[in-house]
Amino acid sequence: MAELQIVVCVKVVPKPEEIRVDPETHLLERTNARSEINPPDMNAMEMALSMKDRYGGCISLLSMGPPFFEPNLRVALAMGADHIYLLSDQAFAGADTLATTYTLAQGIRKIGDVDVILCGEESSDGATGQVPPGLAEWLDIPQLTLLTDVSIDQTLRTARGRREIKGGFEILEVPLPCVISVKTACNEPRFMDYRLRNWALEKDRLTVWDAGDIDAEPGHIGLTGSPTVVTGLDEAPYRERRREFLTGSPDQVVQELADILRKEI
Amino acid sequence: MVSSLYGIGRERKSIWVYLEVESGGLAGVSLELIAKGRQICNQLGWQLAGLLLGYQVGELVADSFAYGLDEVWLGDDALLEYFTIEAYSRASFQALMAAKPSVFLLGATPNGRDLAGRLAVRLRTGLNADCTDLYMNPQDERLVCEVSGFGGGVLALIEMAQHRPQMATVRPGVFSPGELDRKNVGKIIPISLDLTEDVIKTRLVERSIGEQVDLTRVPVLVAGGRGVDGDFKMLAQLAQLLGGEIGATRPPVDEGHITRERQIGQTGVVSNPKVAICCGISGAFHFVVGIEKADIVIAINSDPEAPIFDYADYCIVGDVHQIVPTLIEILSAELEVSIG
Amino acid sequence: MADFEQAVGEEVLLIDDELWEQLIELTDGAAALCFQCGVCTATCPWGLVRQKPLSVRTLMRQAQLGLREKNGSLWLCTTCAQCEAHCPRGVNIADVFRSLRTVAWENRNPEKGLPSLLWSIFWNDNPWSQPPTQRALWANNLDIPIFNPQEHEVMLYIGCTSSYDQRAQKIASALVHILRGAGVEFGFLGEEEPCCGEAVLSVGHKHYFEEVAAKTAQVFQERGVTRLVTISPHCYDVFHNHYPPFSNGFQPLHYTQYLVNLITEGRLQFMKPLDLQVTFQDPCYLGRINETYQAPREILKSIPGVELVEMENSAEEALCCGGGGGRMWLETPLGERFSDLRVEQAVQTGADILATACPFCVACLEDSLKVRKTESFEVRDIAEIAVRAL
Repeated sequence: MAELQIVVCVKVVPKPEEIRVDPETHLLERTNARSEINPPDMNAMEMALSMKDRYGGCISLLSMGPPFFEPNLRVALAMGADHIYLLSDQAFAGADTLATTYTLAQGIRKIGDVDVILCGEESSDGATGQVPPGLAEWLDIPQLTLLTDVSIDQTLRTARGRREIKGGFEILEVPLPCVISVKTACNEPRFMDYRLRNWALEKDRLTVWDAGDIDAEPGHIGLTGSPTVVTGLDEAPYRERRREFLTGSPDQVVQELADILRKEI
Repeated sequence: MVSSLYGIGRERKSIWVYLEVESGGLAGVSLELIAKGRQICNQLGWQLAGLLLGYQVGELVADSFAYGLDEVWLGDDALLEYFTIEAYSRASFQALMAAKPSVFLLGATPNGRDLAGRLAVRLRTGLNADCTDLYMNPQDERLVCEVSGFGGGVLALIEMAQHRPQMATVRPGVFSPGELDRKNVGKIIPISLDLTEDVIKTRLVERSIGEQVDLTRVPVLVAGGRGVDGDFKMLAQLAQLLGGEIGATRPPVDEGHITRERQIGQTGVVSNPKVAICCGISGAFHFVVGIEKADIVIAINSDPEAPIFDYADYCIVGDVHQIVPTLIEILSAELEVSIG
Repeated sequence: MADFEQAVGEEVLLIDDELWEQLIELTDGAAALCFQCGVCTATCPWGLVRQKPLSVRTLMRQAQLGLREKNGSLWLCTTCAQCEAHCPRGVNIADVFRSLRTVAWENRNPEKGLPSLLWSIFWNDNPWSQPPTQRALWANNLDIPIFNPQEHEVMLYIGCTSSYDQRAQKIASALVHILRGAGVEFGFLGEEEPCCGEAVLSVGHKHYFEEVAAKTAQVFQERGVTRLVTISPHCYDVFHNHYPPFSNGFQPLHYTQYLVNLITEGRLQFMKPLDLQVTFQDPCYLGRINETYQAPREILKSIPGVELVEMENSAEEALCCGGGGGRMWLETPLGERFSDLRVEQAVQTGADILATACPFCVACLEDSLKVRKTESFEVRDIAEIAVRAL
């Protein structure tokens, strides 16, 4: 039986509270923001590692981004992943989800022979949640989203997972290869294995591909390949709590509270 | 630049709403989107249509017209009885290519997001997720979507110049549903479906609708702490009236008044409700982490120095056991009036 | 191992020579000293709250035999060192527990909730999953200058808990006022203050702790920090006992040690009499582990109108609040909390205030006090009492 080939799509994101928008240019300012692995992708990583514990196999990380993603991606290697594929090219910049999912799909085709693709539910910056279904569509393979756990049958070549729905859950099964999105916080990501820390820094654990390497059509990538355009960008006004004390007789206070609830709900 | 399968030249000036079926009826979010769509269509003189897929869902069509749809595109087939991404995306795609609407709106529910995500790629068009508002720019008749990013810290306006349909998903509760008017009638357009069993790759092994509650996505959270003295029945009543769920801090969970899956906070659930009502909660740090993302926080505590008041928008110094029952009375009375 | 067990049909205990060698190395030979007398088990506070005490002796024995620990009791230890104080051979038992935890991490078998603790420190430089940019928000109105070695005699190290936890922030504010009252020129590192890493050490991740300590030590050296004063005894302990030596000297002090010096030098005087009866909880990391019993008491005694009464189990015999050893980040079931017993002892003294000198003690004891619903009894850190007497 061939080794299970798992790909985890990982995004390195700025810490949300450190993002600024320049009030004049209306451009995103992220140069001073600390970076981290998108927290939902950590849950996807943990699910991949659990799969590897159970079934054996090989975990590759796939990420689209500039070279400064590298140190954070190596953190995932120290958790137990085997290799990083970083899709890095100026032409990829400015991509919305259509262009991003296309690019990632090309990356997966280049890796080849992939059985399971795991993604976090959404990213902490855009939070669209569109990458898992979009990716599955480009690759024309089935998808299972918002799973809290997954099992693989390597003989039957199927994946089976538990998905929480309103008021309950579903157990769904699809044939491999497939895309799986992992429900945020459904597991506790294991900490780095310090015996892997140095090994994770080895040069040959990272492969960088540009647009040409993955046969990406220029019209499909980056800003060019993005149908959506941002026409306005502002910092949301800081949400300081009102700290307004309601005063009066108990009946007055309750009435005021009821009014507030009616307005807000 | 890759074009969408149909663009501004070939679009039909209409807004489509995906009618999600939930527990045998139309999902609340779909009704909210119909109301929003109706508002925009009235403004522009456009058609408002709904996409309804399912098996033996004919009776829902009348409801859709009552809420304001001009047309319902109906796909009624045994293979559509349960939501499967393969069957639903194929049927939707066929309908969309036949009708070529300018805008397609879906609720940002788990299935809605999946469907939108797949269709957007299939149609080679753009998709704006979890919009906090949308409106039409009357000059160029483009949909403008307001979305937030970076945990709500950044607000963006997004448009699509050439690509159609302009797709957007909206979370339940962002818009309000409209009024029902049974006098409204509309046109049913059956979708010519090309569905066979082998299209469906997803197999439903088991489905269970039970007690589980997802406190991370409730619109209203009524949380109780020590000051509630275990009276979660009272809080549950309030929560029900407000369309929400109850939660708790660690002490009542420890004392067995409520189950641990209802514990809010750092070692429990971090919730994101529109309104969080904190009853008899002092406001310890590890609890506050669980409600700090709420849009509005209301706190009721008998101690005027309680730290929770620093984290609340509306503060009531008083006895929870008096305030909440009175509130329940007022809200129940209002409810009776509105139903009657 | 699992296959072997399946084949044999029952649980098999295999001796792991490597584990024993590892432990000897990790504890500098201390693990070999234990001769299984069992005094440790007898003195462990877990015996006060549970039917079956935490058998420290058994864990030591298992470790000596190189047996892998099977039950969860490894993570119950609060490293209070009550056992160490009574051990006839002076075995550094807390060290053995930390080492066993190190092995557990290497075997990918830590207690649930602890990986998240380490990730919090890794991504946010604090164990409370709070944004690093908000670390100094508490000090917004206090105008504390950024530490400058040319101008300041001492660097005030706030620590993660006092920076982010609303209750503990009050201790920090009180201390700032006291230092100003004594005319001390001090500064802090503001938003750039690095985490001391004690949480990492206490849960046994030795390797990651070494990384955090090296990074923090480097920041201190670059910023010219030599003398520093901490609010938490845990930060103090880790700087004092577990940090690598600095090239330009490093003098960490707990604030109670520093204030006592100021009092002796006549720089700090308490003028306003407080009419209070106070009892004192010796934090494990100040008292038993770092042998500082008198400093906090001297501060209290130097406040006019303060009468000190002692609880049963004081000084070397002080009962742990239950927050050490990483347990601040783990759930302790109701009915098993040491702090419940401690609050009871405190109330029995008839005092008005239970004073302590550690943010963890304050948190645990106040929590227990709330359950007990005792009127007119407070838990306060020493700084909070002293500031009222300035």
